[in-house]
Amino acid sequence: MDHGLVFLHGQSPDFLQALREVPGCWLDHWPSVVRGTGTPCQPDAFVHGAWRMAHANGINAFPKHLANGLDVVLETTVTGFELGGQDITVLATRGGEPVSFVARDVVLALAGPQSLALLDSPNSWRGIEPVRALLAMMPSVPSATVIALYQPENAEVPPWDIWYPETSAALLLVAHDSAKRDNPKNVALVLQARPAWSRAILSTDEGVWVPELLGDAARNIGSWVARPRTWQAHMWHHARTSPDCELAGPLLLDLERSRRIGIAGELFAPGGGVQAAWQSGKQLALRLLEEAQG
Amino acid sequence: MNEIKQRLQDIVDRDATHECAGFGKHALCVRAVAVADLPTRFGDFHIVAFWNNRDEKDHVAIIRGDVVGHADVPMRVHSECLTGDALGSVRCDCRDQLEAALKRISELGEGLVLYLRQEGRGIGLLNKIRAYSLQDGGLDTVEANLALGFRDDERDYAIAAHMLMSLDVRSARVMTNNPNKLEQLKGYGITVAGRIPHVLPPNEHNRFYLETKARRSGHYINFGAELILPEQSDTGIAPDSAE
Repeated sequence: MDHGLVFLHGQSPDFLQALREVPGCWLDHWPSVVRGTGTPCQPDAFVHGAWRMAHANGINAFPKHLANGLDVVLETTVTGFELGGQDITVLATRGGEPVSFVARDVVLALAGPQSLALLDSPNSWRGIEPVRALLAMMPSVPSATVIALYQPENAEVPPWDIWYPETSAALLLVAHDSAKRDNPKNVALVLQARPAWSRAILSTDEGVWVPELLGDAARNIGSWVARPRTWQAHMWHHARTSPDCELAGPLLLDLERSRRIGIAGELFAPGGGVQAAWQSGKQLALRLLEEAQG
Repeated sequence: MNEIKQRLQDIVDRDATHECAGFGKHALCVRAVAVADLPTRFGDFHIVAFWNNRDEKDHVAIIRGDVVGHADVPMRVHSECLTGDALGSVRCDCRDQLEAALKRISELGEGLVLYLRQEGRGIGLLNKIRAYSLQDGGLDTVEANLALGFRDDERDYAIAAHMLMSLDVRSARVMTNNPNKLEQLKGYGITVAGRIPHVLPPNEHNRFYLETKARRSGHYINFGAELILPEQSDTGIAPDSAE
């Protein structure tokens, strides 16, 4: 089940090859049945030459695969950095307790505003000011999402994989997630709200906005959509980069004493989306490796 | 149709089925698709429109006299600048450079300007305005461009090289202060017969921009407009402002 992205797309052979290396079943060309004339959040997904894919285990199979072999620390919130000695100290909290990590190079792979927040404290860092000014011009957009499950006897099977409504002020898309599976037990829909609507309800209880979103979908799809067997909601505060924001490559900030902070992510490569995030991360990794090897 | 225009039309006719392996890392291929008269305030030119296989940006060659099959053709490669070329912004010297090139080529009676629609590629114009915003905050051009993720000079002259070959220009004398432009053109197989210095006096708004270009990007610019490099001794063809 995909709670955020409902499918991946790309044109770069390297990126598509990286997807192919993820174990499990990829559904090529999904979504293949598209309804509605509303604008997709990533219009490039539907241009000639773009390849669309969904994964049976969910799109997060890709980042999990990329993280294989890495020492991943979960449930920890990074709050800032300090320069001490020869290294960078990463300040964080875990379970309310302060923790820290020490490294020579630190890479931020976050949404632009999240990176900006972490770079906001150490004012004296050389070269940081243009980067902060730049990131301040690169907003991200939120997205409220709902996964809704329906018992087959209480639902209709939508005749599409994804629907982009053209008239709804609330709904950006509805994905028919159970269409990714053979003989699904439930009809599963994923509803994603438009950025402006999502921003307006950022501080609203989900018990209020979820019925509104389901109701909007029900008016367009069928009354059964308003009565799911169960649902799960999530607010993505930084769902994606604003489509008018795009940079040509990742940033690598040289601090004093050969310490470096790299910044990569969707914003830092042309085209946006997961492909841009992957490309910028790879580009930054190659730069770090090249410089480390002299 | 006069003889010169007919030669250009022959190129358009020939290019109708043109396909090649392309130039540069993006395998860029162009086709000449139309030719027309272009009377301007600087004199009478022909304009040839080019399609390319990379994006929807249509580029043009603005041609004075007969350049097809000729060598040592005076040429300017000009990258589109909406704010300077069309709106008359004095934050840069683009309009001055374009007008000086058209005027000089008109006086010479033969030559061409390749006008490349490079600014609008991707969200280039948006990022240029962002760079201006950063400059307004006290950051110079190169710093801003680096912060925006661009290389110092990220323009790719594969398009220009292919356009010159399509027009069968045997060699060119390039009107530029940009050494990167010369090297790129040579790298794409263009015979550069020389450089025509293209020095224009700065104004109060773009002096900082031009000084940055000279200091950080290696452009050949002297702010007294004095002749400082061997190739700038070509006074017989130097632009008006350098004379």
